[in-house]
Amino acid sequence: MKILIIEDEQSLRESIEEYFKGTGNICETASDYSTALEKINLYRYDCILLDITLPGGNGINLLKNLKENNHSDGILIISARNSLDDRLEGLDLGADDYLVKPFHLSELRSRITAITRRKTFNGNGSNVLTINEISIDLTGKEVKIKNQDVKLTPKEYALLLYFIANKGKVVSKNAIAEHLWGDGVDITDDFNFIYAHIKNIRKKLMEAGGKDYIRAAYGMGYKFTG
Amino acid sequence: MKLLARYNRVTLMTTVIIMLLTGIAYYQAISWTFTRQKDKDLTDEETEIYEYVNLNHRLPEIFETEHQQVSFTKINIGPVKRVFVDTTYFKIWGKNNPKRQQFHAIGGYEPARGLITSVIIGHQYYKASIIHSKVETEDLIQIIFSITIGVILLLLIILFATNRFILNRLWKPFYNLMQELDLFNITDKNIIPKIDTSIDEFKRLNNSVANMSNKAKRDYQTLKTFTENAAHELNTPIAIINSKLDLLIQTENFSEWQGKLLTELYGGVLRLNRLNQSLLLLVKIENQLMDEHQHINLHELIEGMIIQFDDIYNDKGLKLTYKLDKKEIFASRYLMEILLSNLIINAIRHNYTGGEIIISLTAENFIIQNTGNDEPLNKEEIFIRFHKSSGSEGSGLGLTISRQICENFNFLLDYRFHSPYHAFIVTFPNQV
Repeated sequence: MKILIIEDEQSLRESIEEYFKGTGNICETASDYSTALEKINLYRYDCILLDITLPGGNGINLLKNLKENNHSDGILIISARNSLDDRLEGLDLGADDYLVKPFHLSELRSRITAITRRKTFNGNGSNVLTINEISIDLTGKEVKIKNQDVKLTPKEYALLLYFIANKGKVVSKNAIAEHLWGDGVDITDDFNFIYAHIKNIRKKLMEAGGKDYIRAAYGMGYKFTG
Repeated sequence: MKLLARYNRVTLMTTVIIMLLTGIAYYQAISWTFTRQKDKDLTDEETEIYEYVNLNHRLPEIFETEHQQVSFTKINIGPVKRVFVDTTYFKIWGKNNPKRQQFHAIGGYEPARGLITSVIIGHQYYKASIIHSKVETEDLIQIIFSITIGVILLLLIILFATNRFILNRLWKPFYNLMQELDLFNITDKNIIPKIDTSIDEFKRLNNSVANMSNKAKRDYQTLKTFTENAAHELNTPIAIINSKLDLLIQTENFSEWQGKLLTELYGGVLRLNRLNQSLLLLVKIENQLMDEHQHINLHELIEGMIIQFDDIYNDKGLKLTYKLDKKEIFASRYLMEILLSNLIINAIRHNYTGGEIIISLTAENFIIQNTGNDEPLNKEEIFIRFHKSSGSEGSGLGLTISRQICENFNFLLDYRFHSPYHAFIVTFPNQV
């Protein structure tokens, strides 16, 4: 995957770059409007992370520029302002998704994976994701292991996809809770119910003959090892 | 008591007292003047008697005119002391006077003024009493007194009426201003208008109030902008901490102890973030920036949320029952989701393991009841910002936000306690 990170906050930009690097991804960065404009006009990316507030210009204009030139790069807007106007404007102009700061890197990755998957699916028509013996039909939301159906609840399915998108990374419980119940939901009690979901997924995958992919990581999160 | 009523009472009382005093003074003055006049008449009469006696050396004929009686009595001792007295006068009524019939008497007593003096003829002293009736002066005084009373009454009526009518009109700008003040709300855009009055005091009051309200609004706006900016600025460092933590846990060589520390760090950042998002949300609702209203099937939304949270309340062993009628409202979907999830999460969080939640939706209201601590909550305090029940891990803004959202849509959010249930009730406005 080739990703362009347009973000003026150095620290955040480096975090994102660090998180995406190393698993076959190529990351490029731009910290201001003119650099970003130059890059989007010179190169093509699988996904562009676009911060709206940039020194030297508005990120929305970059989005317009991309669309005017009929570039089909996936675009994920990341903004500090949880404003519905921004969100609607961005999506209306053709952005693929919108993520509000602060976010978990695992959430960002899950969104980007979804965008790029959608792009490739539109290209060739096959929409089945295969991880070793597990195959997931993203359209029908069905999971199979060696042609045997694995019945997952909607939340378990969402969680499995989330893990797969963040394969090899430790995903914190907080990130999982936010992904499953939304960030508007103020649950700060113990995340016991996450454990129950994880346990179910592992059980169901193993019963269908899959390997045990999900491991707990020091009590603070889980990791999908593929 | 109204200012007008008090003012009326004071003015009327003073007026009456002054009028009464005036009346009394008037009466005294007239009475005194007439008495002096009578005394002068009596002295004239006395002089006439003396002259007659000096000239004729005998007493004059005892005569009685319309209002005057003169009598002489022989006295053996020395002369009597000359003195003016208030006395009575026996008036004999004329033969055809109707009073004769009325009182069955030939006459009646009338107030009079008399002069007792003595005359000497040779060596014989006579006491002379000259009595003049005062009935005419009394009549006069009575007329004057009646007129005075009449004037007092008339004045009272006029004062009362003018006070009422003129003052009511005069004070109208004041009452208008009061009404404006009652309607004043620091959060909305309406300002105190200029009031149409030509009275300087009210103009000044109007100006002062308008200035004060503008200043309050400006200060409030500044404070709100500050909160908003501060919260926005906080977003970036929180995002950095969050992302660095996400990176840190990838390095993986942690002891259990370090893992626990990281978990707690995550928890802290999460709470910080929630708090910040809540503040931003509050500012946004107060600014009415959530105007994208749409028709929402409330029963579907609630049902969806119940499914969304089923693992959470099941994990706590809660028994959730619900009865949802069809209900559609016109509101912001985003805010309604926050309102409902706040109330449902509260019902779960403040419950005990194995407790109960009852949700009901009718055309009139949405009620969520939950078991929990068997003590009613303080209704005054729970909606206050950052008020938290002991042991709560929430931001302390959940109910404030809920109430703010309700106010935004003209819903009424209320709390009641019917042991063992804590109930939060959202009453919808009459939507036709």
